[in-house]
Amino acid sequence: MLRFLVNRLLNMIPLLIGITFLSFCVMSLVPGDYLSSLKLNPQISPEVIRQMEAQFGFDQPLLLRYGKWLWEALHLNFGVSLAFRVSVTELIAARALNTVILSASSMAFSWMLAIPIGIIVAVRQNSIWDRVLSFLAFLGMSVPNFFLAFLMMYLALKTGWFPIGGTFSVDYASLGGVDKIADRINHLILPVFVLGAAGMAGLMRLMRSQILEIKNADYVRTARAKGLSERIVIYKHVLRNALNPFVTMAGYSLANLLGGAALVEAVMNLQGLGLLLLDAVRSLDIYLVMGSVLMGAVLLLVGNLLADLALVAVDPRVDFSSISSQ
Amino acid sequence: MAQKLRCALVAGASIIAATMLVACRVNRPANQHAQSQTLYTATTSDPRTYNPIIVTDTASGEAVRRLFEGLLDINPKTTLPEPELAERWEIAPDAKSITFHLRRDVKWFDGVPLTSRDVLFSLRVIYDPKIPNSIASSLMIDDKPLAADAIDDYTVRFKLARPFAPLLYAVGFPIIPEHVLNEQYQNGRFNQTWGVDTAADNMVGSGPYRLAQFVPSQSLQFLRYTNYWMKDEQGGQLPRLRSQTVLIVPDLNTAYLRFQSGQIDVYSPRAKEVNDLREKAKQLDITVEEIGIDTGSMFFAFNRNPRHYLKNGVTDPKLKWFTDLKFMRALAHSIDKTSMIDLAYYGLAEPAVAEISPANKIFHNPNLKDYEFDPRLAAELLEKAGYRLAKSGQRVDAQGNRIEFSLTTNTGNPEREQLCAIFKQDLEDLGIKVNYRPLEFTTLVEKLDSTFDWDVVLMGFTGTIEPNNGSNVLRSSGNLHLWDPRQPKPATKWEADIDRLLEAGTAEMEPHKRAKFYWRIQEILHEQLPLLETVRQIRYTAYKNSLQNYQPTVWGTYRQELMQFRSD
Repeated sequence: MLRFLVNRLLNMIPLLIGITFLSFCVMSLVPGDYLSSLKLNPQISPEVIRQMEAQFGFDQPLLLRYGKWLWEALHLNFGVSLAFRVSVTELIAARALNTVILSASSMAFSWMLAIPIGIIVAVRQNSIWDRVLSFLAFLGMSVPNFFLAFLMMYLALKTGWFPIGGTFSVDYASLGGVDKIADRINHLILPVFVLGAAGMAGLMRLMRSQILEIKNADYVRTARAKGLSERIVIYKHVLRNALNPFVTMAGYSLANLLGGAALVEAVMNLQGLGLLLLDAVRSLDIYLVMGSVLMGAVLLLVGNLLADLALVAVDPRVDFSSISSQ
Repeated sequence: MAQKLRCALVAGASIIAATMLVACRVNRPANQHAQSQTLYTATTSDPRTYNPIIVTDTASGEAVRRLFEGLLDINPKTTLPEPELAERWEIAPDAKSITFHLRRDVKWFDGVPLTSRDVLFSLRVIYDPKIPNSIASSLMIDDKPLAADAIDDYTVRFKLARPFAPLLYAVGFPIIPEHVLNEQYQNGRFNQTWGVDTAADNMVGSGPYRLAQFVPSQSLQFLRYTNYWMKDEQGGQLPRLRSQTVLIVPDLNTAYLRFQSGQIDVYSPRAKEVNDLREKAKQLDITVEEIGIDTGSMFFAFNRNPRHYLKNGVTDPKLKWFTDLKFMRALAHSIDKTSMIDLAYYGLAEPAVAEISPANKIFHNPNLKDYEFDPRLAAELLEKAGYRLAKSGQRVDAQGNRIEFSLTTNTGNPEREQLCAIFKQDLEDLGIKVNYRPLEFTTLVEKLDSTFDWDVVLMGFTGTIEPNNGSNVLRSSGNLHLWDPRQPKPATKWEADIDRLLEAGTAEMEPHKRAKFYWRIQEILHEQLPLLETVRQIRYTAYKNSLQNYQPTVWGTYRQELMQFRSD
């Protein structure tokens, strides 16, 4: 296992360099740069733009700039945002906690609902339950996130049961400890539903198809023939085998924890990394984008690794040689 | 199995129910604003910096404007300068120096008095080439900085190389505290000072409000500065509102919902929301008011830059069309402004004729007559000028070239896209083919600024009271002289005329006498048509009836310090 780990960690290095270099190239080679938005401002003279270009180092060649960035990044200094003039780490850290809370909650929501419901519909295939829940699943998958978000905002206005967006109330700072938690939960209800809904639908369908596939396998038939109750057959034998792809997906989900969902964040007025990073890409705030790309890439690769390790742990048929073929 | 599943579902349902019960503890009515004398407004993005000199975007400007003040302030109702930190000023008879007398009762938030030292420090920072900012260019005369010196602690004298009227509109720049920022400035770290990671207490200003709290992507809170120098007519302490909260709501639709729920007290409705709000006004206990016409201008600019049209020694015929006055006049008669107003602005707009908005009472030229929308007249003018309609229904020029060009604007702006669609249709009715393709903003900027690779663009500029602030656009050597930027010397007589008028306009000190020069500039633009003006939106505001002394104008709120909630 040690050999496997070392191998994978060494593999990550060229991957990370490749990912970051590609992103840097794309950000640098598209027409315009961060200063473009200032060029159409009649109050800002061309000399000022030139001074800023020199300060930001835009006149240096691309490879040199990438090299500088990479060197600093190895020392855990991810540069300064061009728009905010504040360190990238600071900007991301300020919003990271809430992003994780939101992503983790919506993931928990979708998984905790998807798995039992997926089992139910698989076991009662083609029953009324199956049809209704599958229909709702397809509905959840088809409605775009931001539209559902806006519908929820409208619902919040009309019923008054939920806050209309926001991550906390304005007077959050003055609330007591328990009230603070209650406030956060209050504001999480609709966003978790919106973000979880689409994911839940997909997961449910996946669980359903996995169970259906395994339900009629030979060894399951043997288990039934041995006289085991249906409950034990499904929960102990079928489910354990059906979970394989979910373990892998859980690993990938690690990357999504800090990704955020920009459009939903915008509509529901949430504090999160998604909108910050979307704005950074659109305004070509290169170091902020690079910081987030690196973070996302590291999380993805680490999540991938953890998923593979988990797979080996969970499934005795899988060993290190079969997963280290990449 | 069914039993276990049922257990799981019951457990799940009870978790959700418990969550909601807990959450209900926190549901409080949104309308405590009046009791706490707190005003809630909304903005669309986070501030990028709190440093008032470095600020380039409106969101950051919104965040710091309550903390900082200038020597003068422009009265949004009269559009004339008024005292702020300077209680009076004298212009020398030869207009080559202005002496400002500072108020003696102004104290920074930390109790230190505000003196001429701070004014000179602010100027030094603004003029420093290592601190790129948007204020310096308006404080330059012929590209040279002003000389300023302190006669005593409360008197500052500006020396001008020549009379320069725009200076009075430019000295409203924010004054920053020397005793707080000088160290950072000397260490070369001024650009990184007072970023959004600054603790609220470290923000030292002199204005009516202090920064109390910033929650990223959520809200900014301001608390009244109890030692503010301004008093009302009865001697009562100002400002009257105890605090202000700016909610950061990126999505305009969500902001609209939050206004309707009472969480926001003052709101600027978009055209499509105005009628809806009028109907709900009684139910929501709000007033919907027209405040005036938009201060900027939105126009179709036609590229006349020879560099764009010369390829392989051949000049594109478009250059000839766009510089042919008869062609441009025909196009001016084919813009259906009424449809633009009805479709893009729900009827809440007016046709734009002059380049300076009517909201700028002194400098707007009211005597210009619009080119009437008359497609038949347009077709006639084109025919007479040699642009005939071929048998295929396409219009061609005298050499047989098909009249065809590209039209662009920036993406993400539904009103602009609609205006382009209408214009394209109007031109197609004349047989002119228009290829419309909106571009991402940064891509568009590169085309306008560097490659000049565009034919016709729909662009808009916000307006300022001081007309000289638009000189980068109007001057032939200006970088924003869209149709032919950065000319080494004026390419046409009329552009030379505009350059001369701009010069003369800055040398005359009296506003109404100055206005004559700018009226003539608008007249020339109206005759020569490098820009085809479109429409100007009518601006509205909606606010709660319990808010008193709220006097909005299109140039800003008049005497904000007097606002308060009715206490009942």
